[in-house]
This record gives sequence, structure tokens and C-alpha cells, in this order.
Amino acid sequence: MIALYRIALVAARELRAERRQPDGVVAAVTFIAVLVLLESLVVGPQIARDADVASALFWLALAFATILATMRSFDRELEDDALEGLVALPGGRDALFGGKVLALAMVLVLVATVGGILSLVLLDLPVALPVHLIVVVLLGVLALPPIVIVDVVLALRLRARAALVPILALPVLVPQLVAATRGTSAALSGDAVGALSWAGLLFAFSVVYTVIGLTIVPAAIE
Amino acid sequence: MTDTTISRGTPYWMPRIRPWLGIAAAASFVVASVMALFWAPTDAVQGNVYRILYVHVPLAWLAYLAFVVVFLASIGWLWTRNAVFDAIAVASAEIGVLFTGLFLVAGSIWAKPTWGVWWTWEPRLVTTAVMFVMYVGYLLLRGLSTDFSRRATRAAVFGIIAVIDVPIVHLSVLWANSLHQLPTVLRAAGSPALDSSMLLTLMVSLFAYTLIYAYFMSARVSLEVARQVRLWTT
Repeated sequence: MIALYRIALVAARELRAERRQPDGVVAAVTFIAVLVLLESLVVGPQIARDADVASALFWLALAFATILATMRSFDRELEDDALEGLVALPGGRDALFGGKVLALAMVLVLVATVGGILSLVLLDLPVALPVHLIVVVLLGVLALPPIVIVDVVLALRLRARAALVPILALPVLVPQLVAATRGTSAALSGDAVGALSWAGLLFAFSVVYTVIGLTIVPAAIE
Repeated sequence: MTDTTISRGTPYWMPRIRPWLGIAAAASFVVASVMALFWAPTDAVQGNVYRILYVHVPLAWLAYLAFVVVFLASIGWLWTRNAVFDAIAVASAEIGVLFTGLFLVAGSIWAKPTWGVWWTWEPRLVTTAVMFVMYVGYLLLRGLSTDFSRRATRAAVFGIIAVIDVPIVHLSVLWANSLHQLPTVLRAAGSPALDSSMLLTLMVSLFAYTLIYAYFMSARVSLEVARQVRLWTT
């Protein structure tokens, strides 16, 4: 219970910092909005409206937005020299990882909502199964932060960090991105069984990578 | 660095066995190549093109083996903080990247006459390419870190996460509609779907390439341990 309380404290602190200085969430939302706008210009409106293409670009954009928001979150810690203090607290390393996952998932829900609404409106996408779509997007959003946070922690204070984090994170995120894209496409095109199967896989990924993160991230933070 | 155990040097037996390992690897490679080129029968469907299997499959096996060794050595480092595990991990990762690159090239050479293209967006190919990029990222992460202990720890954490791609690569042909050939030797259905002389040639090739891996590992681990000793003493 104490561990959960510490995680909730770190998540609340993270969200408070994001509210006071919302550059991470603003960068992520702007990034995803620009990509949605560019999508129909680059591939043409007909192809952009295809459920597979729209889903794939949405999740790729969200993966990059996750990296942006996570890096900004840790930059803020480094700028304020707050990381050392947090890590020095009892259970600080576990709480740091758990709290960041929780807070970033909440921030990503906001980013995904804005990006999703923009995609649906601007691309005029028909949604066959709206509830399934919400379930897939929520579980997809939960599946992204654990890996990205681990990779940002690994690249902390390294030169060329901005280039290194996507190189480390994106290959590991491939299964999550495939599952999220297929699930979203299935929900858009009316395949309920497909959408729920991919949603189940996304849930499994979230649990597995969160457990791995909680197990090994404390060792990575020195 | 206070809790880090730095190796005093290469284990005494390693330089002694290395020449013999090299001779055994070279001899078995020659035997495997002769068997693959002249002794194994021609495939009824693919003709002689299939003979690349005797290079392609052992390279795939070594890629898997190398990255599983990285995973185990990474756990070893995080558990014991003994620097020899870091030396094993970096050696195996470098060799694994080399063999994965060759595995992709050999696959492309086989794909051109068989599928008509050098590359196709097929699950096995894409997941293998992703695995290649992942371990290039692992080496990049090591290269950008300067402090020994932090570098080893960061790399170990990534080495543990990245191994998840190995079963994904292997099972991708079963999970997705794949153009790639299904498993021929390790089949859920039972015995290998391969002629006995082809199977024997493949086994000899696997043995030869495993010896090559062991030889490379002994040389590279010695080099890394020597580097650690120099770092520790200067």
C-alpha cells in the first residue's frame, strides 16, 4: 500500500509540474496535430482515409509524442536537480518509474484524445465500433510509457540523447504499435472480435513491460 | 565503482584453448562447406539455390544464441556486478550484430531467385531487421556512455528488454501469414521435414558455426577483459 501511495505521490507531482509548465504536453499535442494535418497532404485524402493507414500514422505519431513528453519530463527533473532527491527517498526508484508511467499515461490520454478527434474530423473517418475504439486507444496508451520511460532513463545525461531514445525505443515498441494499429483499424472497420483480441494483447504488453520496468529500472538509475 | 568486481585478467585456460578452438572451427567449417556444396543432394523444387540454407540457418541460430548470451550475461552483471559478465555481453552483442547482418544478406540472396525480390515486407524479414537495429542501438548506447559501471548497467537493462524480440522473430512465421518457409527442423508436428543427408549436413554446419562463435567469443572476451584491466590500473 505504501508503494502505491508513493507512486500516486510521484504521479501527482508529475501532473502538477506538467500543469505549471505544460511544454511537454503542448509539444506532444502540437506534434500529433501537425502529423495528422500533413498526413492527407502527403499521401492524398483518399489513402489517408483508409482505416489501416490512418491507424498506423496515428500510432506512430503517438509513439513519437510519447518520446517527446517523456524526454521533456526528465529534462525538467534534471534542470531542477530534482532526480537525485527523489531517488534518495525510500522506495524512490520504484515510485519514480511507477509514478512516471501513471502520469505519462494520463498525459497521453489527453494527447490521444486531441489527436484522435483531429483524425476523425479532418479525415472524416467513419467509426463502426466507438466503444471498442476507446478501449483499444486506452490500452494502447497504457502500453507505450513503460518502454519509453526505461529507454529515456537509460539515455539520461548521454550526449546525442535525442537521437538515441527513438533508436532504442521504437524497435522495442514494434509489437505494441502493430497491436494498437491493427486493433484501431479493426474498431474503425467493424471487426469487434479483432479489436478485442488486439486490445487483450495490448493489456498484456502493458502489464509485462510495467513489471519488467519495476524490476530492472531501479538498477538502471544510478 | 566500489562494488564492481573487475577481472584480474583473462581466465588462464582461455588463451590455451583458443588455437585449438580456431583449428576445430576452421576444420569443421571446411567439412560443412564440402558437405553443403558437394555431398548434400539437390532439392527437387528449388534446385541448388536451397544450399544457401546451410549458411542462412546457422547464421540465424548464432544470432539467436548471441542475443540470448547477451541477456544471460546482462542478468549476471546486474546480479553480481562482476565485470567479466559485461565483457561477455559486449562480445556477444558485437558478434550477434555481425551474424544478424550476414543472416539478412544470406536471406536476401536466397529470396531473389526464389521469391523474385531481394526484400519483401514479410514478418520474419521485418522482425529480423528490427532485431538487427535493436542491437545496433545496444552498441550505440554502450558507445555513448563513458563511465564503466553506468555503461555496463545501462547496456544490461537494454540487453534484458531486447531479448524479447528473439522469440518474436522465430515465431513470427507461425503468428502471421508469412511468405517465409515454416520451421523445418524444430516442428510442432514432429520429426524434421528434411532428407536425412540434408539434415546431417545442416547439423554439421550448425556445429561448425557454433565453434566459430565460440572462437570469436574467446578472442573478443579476452580483448575486453584486457581493456577493463587497463582501465582499472590506469
